Amino acid sequence: MLRNSVIGEPAIIEMKGVGIRYDKGPEVLSDINLSLKRGSFHFLTGKSGAGKTSLLSLMYLAQKPSRGVLNVFGSNVSFTNRDNLALIRRRIGVVFQDFRLLEHLSAFDNVALPLRVCGMNEKEVKKRVRELLQWVELDKHMTDKASTLSGGEKQRIAIARAVINRPDILLADEPTGNVDSDIARKLMKLFIELNKLGTTVVIATHSEKLITDFHYPRLHLNDGGLRIYQPNEGLFRGAGI
Amino acid sequence: MINKEPLITRKQELPLKDDSTGLFLKIMISIAVFLFAVTLAGVLSINSMLNAWNNSILGSLTIQIMPVNNANQEKAREETLLQQDKVLEFLKTLPEVEKARALNDNQLQQLLQPWLGDGIDISSLPTPRILDIKIKPGAKIDFPALAERLAEVSPLASLDNHKLWLDKLIRFADGLKMLALSILVLVIAITSGAIFYTTQTNLGLHRNIIEILHIMGAKDTYVAQQYAKRDAMLGFIGGIFGLVLAIPTIFMIAGLAEQIEGGIISEARLSWESWLMILLLPFFSSVTAMITAYYTVKRTLEKMM
Repeated sequence: MLRNSVIGEPAIIEMKGVGIRYDKGPEVLSDINLSLKRGSFHFLTGKSGAGKTSLLSLMYLAQKPSRGVLNVFGSNVSFTNRDNLALIRRRIGVVFQDFRLLEHLSAFDNVALPLRVCGMNEKEVKKRVRELLQWVELDKHMTDKASTLSGGEKQRIAIARAVINRPDILLADEPTGNVDSDIARKLMKLFIELNKLGTTVVIATHSEKLITDFHYPRLHLNDGGLRIYQPNEGLFRGAGI
Repeated sequence: MINKEPLITRKQELPLKDDSTGLFLKIMISIAVFLFAVTLAGVLSINSMLNAWNNSILGSLTIQIMPVNNANQEKAREETLLQQDKVLEFLKTLPEVEKARALNDNQLQQLLQPWLGDGIDISSLPTPRILDIKIKPGAKIDFPALAERLAEVSPLASLDNHKLWLDKLIRFADGLKMLALSILVLVIAITSGAIFYTTQTNLGLHRNIIEILHIMGAKDTYVAQQYAKRDAMLGFIGGIFGLVLAIPTIFMIAGLAEQIEGGIISEARLSWESWLMILLLPFFSSVTAMITAYYTVKRTLEKMM
């Protein structure tokens, strides 16, 4: 198993010389070297089009790297079979920028999705989903179709869906983009709580306020390359976060 | 205050029920099951007919006694009947023969009616006499030896064991059966092909949902099961429709076949086992649709994502 540079601490996600290109186009990301430790918390920044979504999609195994080595939970994803990739994905929670809810399903069914694909019994599903919907203050909209919810409500449903399975990694693409500051603060508190319980968190954001308010290291993408900044390091106007 | 819990009913992640491809598949499967049921009934009928013919070859033979040549018709007829009786007496001494009988004038007239027409007095014509012989089950007759002994008893008697013309008929029926079986295979292949391409198209339509399911950790089997479940139901409903149309058609064809003279086709009857096979077709179409959908999804997803 590949290990992080810190002896004894296993890397939960490890990238070595990773590059990604779409079809025969130029590389969107080049020579990415990254090692995320279990229980770490990072912001992911970069200008629009810098490759944040691509990097996240590599992490949640929506695609494989065009070159280099990507290990997730110690498995090289290029040589892992489809069934085992599915098992790895169950340990990853994802919040998409565009929510990607199943519009024809209710709020309840959307949040229940990760539990049902794992084959959890319906009694337990109902218990867990109700609890979480109460927590995100959407229990009154339990049976409403996702297509009828507002942007903020959809965001909260997307976050509830990402954390319902108590994932080992939480990857969020602009999770606070569509909610007011109160809800944003509450969601950040949830992410921090999850992180304290051992969940590795990566949040892609453009919000300078979020980065300055919460002191976590930052993975910054620029020109297809990746640089890691410590809290508050390298922040200045026009840096393009 | 009573806290009213909202009613939670699980909805399938893939909205396959509301899909227009569902109606197409249902119609397609109905037509396939209709064709399959009618063709299968044909195959089974031909089978029963072949069995009956084979049994008749093994169980019977015919002896023909040529009319005696005499200018006096009455005398010629008497001599011919005398030869007939001699042969009948001889046949009754054979251990392999269960029953031997001579066809009377009425029966001969019926037999010759297609060639001679109605209203002909057969006794006024020099027609051969026919003996119908039933052989004991399992008994084996040495036909050449029998023919020799018959010639000794009556030089006017000749043996016809039906085999030659029935063999040709059986070969023809066998050919028909193979043709019908090929149609059955073709129907299965076309239906499976339709399910294959419809499922592939449908997977393309729901690609976004399937991507989400994968990201949430769903295995290919999870998606495949939803398609298999839907197509099993479509296969069954389509099968029932097809069967409902096929049963009266089968009865109609059977009715038409019974009107054919000569009794050849009337041997083509469907046993209760055959009917059971036909009635089970909706289950067969359901299982075929389910398996085809399942493996199509698995194969396509492996290539698609």
